[in-house]
Amino acid sequence: MKPAPFSYVRPSSVGEAVEALSATDGEGKLLAGGQSLVPLLAMRLARPTTLIDLNHVSALAGITAATGRVNFGSMTRQRDLIAQSEHPLVAEAVRWIGHAAIRSRGTIGGSLAHADPSAELPAVALATNAVLRVQGPNGDRAIAIDDWFETMLQTTIADDEILVEADLAAPTRWGFAEMARREGDFALVLAAVAEVDSHWRVVIGGVGARPWRCEAAEALLDEHTNPEQVGAAISEAVQDTVETFDDLHASASYRSAMAAHVAGQATTHALSLDRALLSDGTVVAP
Amino acid sequence: MRHVAFLRSSYGHAAITNVDFSELPPGVDVFTSATPGFDISLRALSALPGYVETDQPPLARDKVRFAGEPVAAIVAADRYLAEDAAEQLIIDYEPLAPTVSAWSLPQVPVHDAAPDNVLLSRTFDAGDVDAAFAGAAVAVRRELTTNRHGGNPIEGRAGVALWDGDRLTFWSGTQIPHLVRNLLAELLELSESQVRVVAPDVGGGFGTKAVIYPEDLALCLIARSLPGTPVKWVEDRAEHLASATAARDHHYELEAAFDADGTLLAIRGEAWCNIGAYSVYPWTAGIEPLMAGGLLTGPYKVDNYRCTVRGVATNTAPAGPYRGVARPATVYAMECLLDSGAAALGLDPFDIRRINLIGPDDVPYRMPTRLVDDTGHYGECLDVAVERIGLVELRAEQARRRTEGGKPIGIGLAAYNELTGLGRAASAGPRMPFRTGHEACTVRVNPDGKVLVLSGVTSQGQGLETTMAQVVAEVMGVPYDDVDVRYGDTDQSLWGFGAFSSRQAVIAGGATHRAAVAVRDDIIRLAAELYEANADDLVIEHGLIKVVGSPNPVGSVADVARVAYLESNRLPAGFEPGLDATRFYDPVMGAFAAGVQVAAIEIDPVTGEIEIMDWVCIEDAGKIINHQIVEGQIAGSIAQGIGGALYEHLIYDELGNLSTGTLMDYLMPTAAEIPELQIGHIERAADNPLGVRGVGEGGTLGPAAVLASAVHDAFGIEIDELPVSPAKLWTAMQTARGDV
Repeated sequence: MKPAPFSYVRPSSVGEAVEALSATDGEGKLLAGGQSLVPLLAMRLARPTTLIDLNHVSALAGITAATGRVNFGSMTRQRDLIAQSEHPLVAEAVRWIGHAAIRSRGTIGGSLAHADPSAELPAVALATNAVLRVQGPNGDRAIAIDDWFETMLQTTIADDEILVEADLAAPTRWGFAEMARREGDFALVLAAVAEVDSHWRVVIGGVGARPWRCEAAEALLDEHTNPEQVGAAISEAVQDTVETFDDLHASASYRSAMAAHVAGQATTHALSLDRALLSDGTVVAP
Repeated sequence: MRHVAFLRSSYGHAAITNVDFSELPPGVDVFTSATPGFDISLRALSALPGYVETDQPPLARDKVRFAGEPVAAIVAADRYLAEDAAEQLIIDYEPLAPTVSAWSLPQVPVHDAAPDNVLLSRTFDAGDVDAAFAGAAVAVRRELTTNRHGGNPIEGRAGVALWDGDRLTFWSGTQIPHLVRNLLAELLELSESQVRVVAPDVGGGFGTKAVIYPEDLALCLIARSLPGTPVKWVEDRAEHLASATAARDHHYELEAAFDADGTLLAIRGEAWCNIGAYSVYPWTAGIEPLMAGGLLTGPYKVDNYRCTVRGVATNTAPAGPYRGVARPATVYAMECLLDSGAAALGLDPFDIRRINLIGPDDVPYRMPTRLVDDTGHYGECLDVAVERIGLVELRAEQARRRTEGGKPIGIGLAAYNELTGLGRAASAGPRMPFRTGHEACTVRVNPDGKVLVLSGVTSQGQGLETTMAQVVAEVMGVPYDDVDVRYGDTDQSLWGFGAFSSRQAVIAGGATHRAAVAVRDDIIRLAAELYEANADDLVIEHGLIKVVGSPNPVGSVADVARVAYLESNRLPAGFEPGLDATRFYDPVMGAFAAGVQVAAIEIDPVTGEIEIMDWVCIEDAGKIINHQIVEGQIAGSIAQGIGGALYEHLIYDELGNLSTGTLMDYLMPTAAEIPELQIGHIERAADNPLGVRGVGEGGTLGPAAVLASAVHDAFGIEIDELPVSPAKLWTAMQTARGDV
């Protein structure tokens, strides 16, 4: 359980990092918090020739709130995502990530770039219509979150690009629910539900190769269904349309039933108003 | 120091057709079964009739028998380089049909000597079982499968071996240093005086390290071929999950017969224990099946018992001793039979236990397997547990929720007897060429009056150094801080079998007590002469020697020690210089510890998730030497029991690949998954010098049984397979509701 040989570069600016990454001809790997990459290196499942350590690029960390949106530098630590109050859905979801030691290293950009379909931040980014800014040798470009996730652990970022920031809409109403076998595990299933620009997004994690938007559930919520019954209706919509898989810990039928369950819970939270966020950024007290 | 990496088989079962290491970088040494000296094997011996002896080579020879088996050892300047070099080593395999289940017949046997893969089979038979079934009011039948899991100590296996040209020194995280010395000497054809084994503070063992592994032997053979160079191997977690011994991969088909009032009349059935690819050294393939068959009936009275147990080889990592050996599975099986019997007879699950438990008046109780139970305090443990958990209130709340709604509550229980401190007549292990009944201890007062204890115990974190120092300080009347306990180095202490079978407090404690008594008596005898007092009137308190009833000391242990070592001119006639004694202790039989666990759980009917509301464990562990240590043992073992009952499962696919090869998929419980535990004691002294009963394993015996019983209590759902995952419980609830 020792990594194969690699060389190590420690840039201090985004420009240096982009340059170092380009120099590896697609064989380099960016090191953010390292909570997934380092085990992959140790198991020799990842074998980059060069590791470009972003931990000293101070420009990549930080949180900026604007009207209706919150911008997160890609190297913002997960523990800082819990501490911030600009985006309560992010803070709530990040509480479900691993343990304190993991969250003190793990970053928002690392999680989005790793694109684990059962991780919290990819689902939250998808639910909040995030725009991701990446920078490469020919400048930067924005990628809409709907175009970001390609398949299991794969995104549409190019080999020579670095995820610089994630710009998330601050939802007017939101809910989050998760089930995991143990405290701190990756989710068995999770649901992030958010109202963004008067439209609902319902995202389920842990059911497929990518976080999945349940459009049937979104349409139901957009139709202003009766709040009393909408949780059950959303559960039913998810149960009817989700496609999922068997693994060691759960059968497909259990996983889809639980996806429906957490979707209902998250929706109920979102509509209960007690944790809703107004568009000016203030949290409404219950 | 050079570092070793093992190249391990990626096949569950395959012939090795070629080994090519022509591409290796410089500065690297490679060892395989073809290397001179590597033609020896571990061969676990037993005199049991029908036992099939098999070899376990230090590095796979001709074929691999499980995925993870070491095939080659690579030695380099550091572990990174060794692992780099391992990638350059090409092994060609020709796959053979693998068998991963112990209850299916092999296409290609794991060992040629056992065509049906059965290495050991034994039938326990007592009374007239079939007549008892014929006359029974009710008979119940259960088929149960338990889950393979293992010790997973926080520190994996590790060793450093050094051959200096004349002597082998092996620093090893072993639980059994003296046995390792003895067996290494035999295997390497050295005299025991040429082998020193040092087991310093070790980070957990749980039985996993009470085994001599092929890696241990390989490391010593490598050292012998590289004289003067220490070679080091530290197991990583992936290696541990794939190749350290695991346990509890069993299948039971059992029936129980009851009369109309719930009295247990007879048990009959069969058990299969998956012993993995090799008969574990030195405990053999019998370790789990014989314990399963021997202790199945647990603390319950029954005269008629027939059970055939088998130890079956498969293409999986070897099974070995793991805290509780087999009994977490058999207690679960036994309690399932009682719950089914209670349901069939319309009896309360607590009452059916009370009717059948061995009581104080039954002791000594001869079990149908001829083991003798010397504690009968199960009923008392049960009463205290019921009181402590508040059973009456829980039953009321359970009933309220059944009518008014709310998450269903289930209350489960298990009673168990922990066979501890086995002396020569009940010795651990199946008729091996040695008997593990005794321990030795040396207690020495140094010239300054401080006490040195050289003990055969080993410590994997149980606090044995504290316990032994306490025993000595109390017996000798010296301050605890003046007692220095040393263990784990075969060059220091005379003899100790080590840590297994909950034997250290009983047996090593007994030896320590005896040696301390002998030295105290010598001190008193000498003091009586020196201070012209009657020996019967002298006592030692805080290292000072006093005449009973007089506040002023006449001298000190240090004064007497000075005379014993430095002023032989003052020694009275008949006294030899020095203050030191070595004593052995063998309890001959053993001491059963009684235990009862009761828990209340809440089940989420939507998700199948179990929330533990309360957990009570009451044990009779005999006289307690140190409360904190005893409770730590019980809490830790219950945590491991809960891990095995709800989370931990080593799963092999049909090809023999381990599907749960990392801690992402092999779920160890964390502090968040373990409830607050209420631990209580009833202290009934055992018949040994300290009155103690072993306490290291009992906690693991209860949880699977308790949780299955609680689920049964909540819904009437029978749990036939462990672990109880939310997904499985959800499926069972769907089936019970007729949704599927």
